Amino acid sequence: MKRVILYVLYISLLAGCGAPAAGSGEEPETVQLIAMDTVMTFAAYGDRAAEAVVQAAEEMERMERILSRTLPNSEVARLNAVGSAHTGPEVQRLAEASSHYREATGGAFDITVAPVVSAWGFTTDSFQVPSDAELAKLLPLVDGSAVRVDESGTVTLGPGQSIDLGGIAKGYASDLTAALYASAGIERGKAELGGNVLAWGTRPDGKPWRVGIKDPARPDDGNAFAGIVELEDSVAITSGGYQRFFEENGTRYHHIIDPSTGYPAESGLTSVTVVAKADGSGTRLNGAMCDAYSTALFIMGEDRALDFWRTHQARTDYEDAFDLVLVTEDGRVVVTAGLSDRFEPSEDSGYVYETAS
Amino acid sequence: MKRRPRLRPTPWDGVTAALILALAVGCGALFRGGAPEGGTAVVSIAGEEVDRFSLADAGEREYTANGYHLHVTVTDGSVRVTEADCPTQDCVHTGAITRSGQSIVCLPGRFILRLEGGSSDNTGVDAVLG
Repeated sequence: MKRVILYVLYISLLAGCGAPAAGSGEEPETVQLIAMDTVMTFAAYGDRAAEAVVQAAEEMERMERILSRTLPNSEVARLNAVGSAHTGPEVQRLAEASSHYREATGGAFDITVAPVVSAWGFTTDSFQVPSDAELAKLLPLVDGSAVRVDESGTVTLGPGQSIDLGGIAKGYASDLTAALYASAGIERGKAELGGNVLAWGTRPDGKPWRVGIKDPARPDDGNAFAGIVELEDSVAITSGGYQRFFEENGTRYHHIIDPSTGYPAESGLTSVTVVAKADGSGTRLNGAMCDAYSTALFIMGEDRALDFWRTHQARTDYEDAFDLVLVTEDGRVVVTAGLSDRFEPSEDSGYVYETAS
Repeated sequence: MKRRPRLRPTPWDGVTAALILALAVGCGALFRGGAPEGGTAVVSIAGEEVDRFSLADAGEREYTANGYHLHVTVTDGSVRVTEADCPTQDCVHTGAITRSGQSIVCLPGRFILRLEGGSSDNTGVDAVLG
């Protein structure tokens, strides 16, 4: 019998040769998929990690079927086609949240900009510069205040209007992921949803997740960052003109359309990152908020963005608080005070770093 | 002192030999699969895995994804989409990838090429914004 025990010991030691290198720790369960016109990667640690990431992926496919503007049978496509429709809770909730963000940003975030974005071809990838006459015809349709959500759950658009939830849907997706991770008891994980990040809990080594902000001046270099933020239980979203654009006659046109002009926003910013607390309870939409504000503040420009941050900080509670990283065309990176001790500049980037308070 | 070594094999010896052999084969497979430099590229189209190859296999590969054609080149432990007829060209602009966890994506083609195994990302970040 003793000999048997020795064999078992010996074999256990031998088996060690196949174990991962020391220090790499536990491996996450990971799922990657394409949904909502972007690539999404979910990673989670723990006993129910596999179940959680698969559920998250399924939820994203479900959201796409509801929120897509280009899938003809989605709730949003149906609403756009008929102008008034009873929708499920997701579209109602996002329509209501959108009108709140539109008011908060003075119209810089507006889901009714959809027809103008289509005229530029960003919905279909058949890019073109619309004529002034066409824009003049479409701009009066851009007015989010005409969108109504009544108590029965019917969403009604103004005459000729259509909506695009693309400026909020991926942020909402990170809210849904946080809620799924929370209900599966996941303590640490992350999700990358087309350039926006959910940092859930901490890394397995107990440290915050290190999240790089892509350098807008070098978007094709995966190792080039404007800085790194250390995040824990947070959502963060970046909007930048470099993410989607086309060139015509030597001019570059990007996808962030200013609802007031109908043209790509030229505000002196090259990217805006908004960071807020992640909420797994499903009650707050902080991811959707970050998504909407990153677009709006990109359009508003540095001064108005920082003023917005200051007034917002002054009058809301902690759960609604957010911080910003602004990258400017003139080579500066402006970090708001709440994030400055969690922000690491990129030494070789050439940027000048400033803290705003 | 009387020495009488018991050299007759017992059933346990057979079990041990079998176990050690199995472990040896298992370890060998692990080391080969996780080639430290190369890693493995996993290609999926519309959510289905369609190809899996080692970065040590230099050469050219062709894929058809949702009607688009992608030409993939593997050299020196790196892989890139060298040519594609998709409208966005993001897959081509991504350039070469070399480390575990990196991926090249063609959204119109619903094409994902992701690296697994091998040395992991050493850029010092866990996720990327933007």
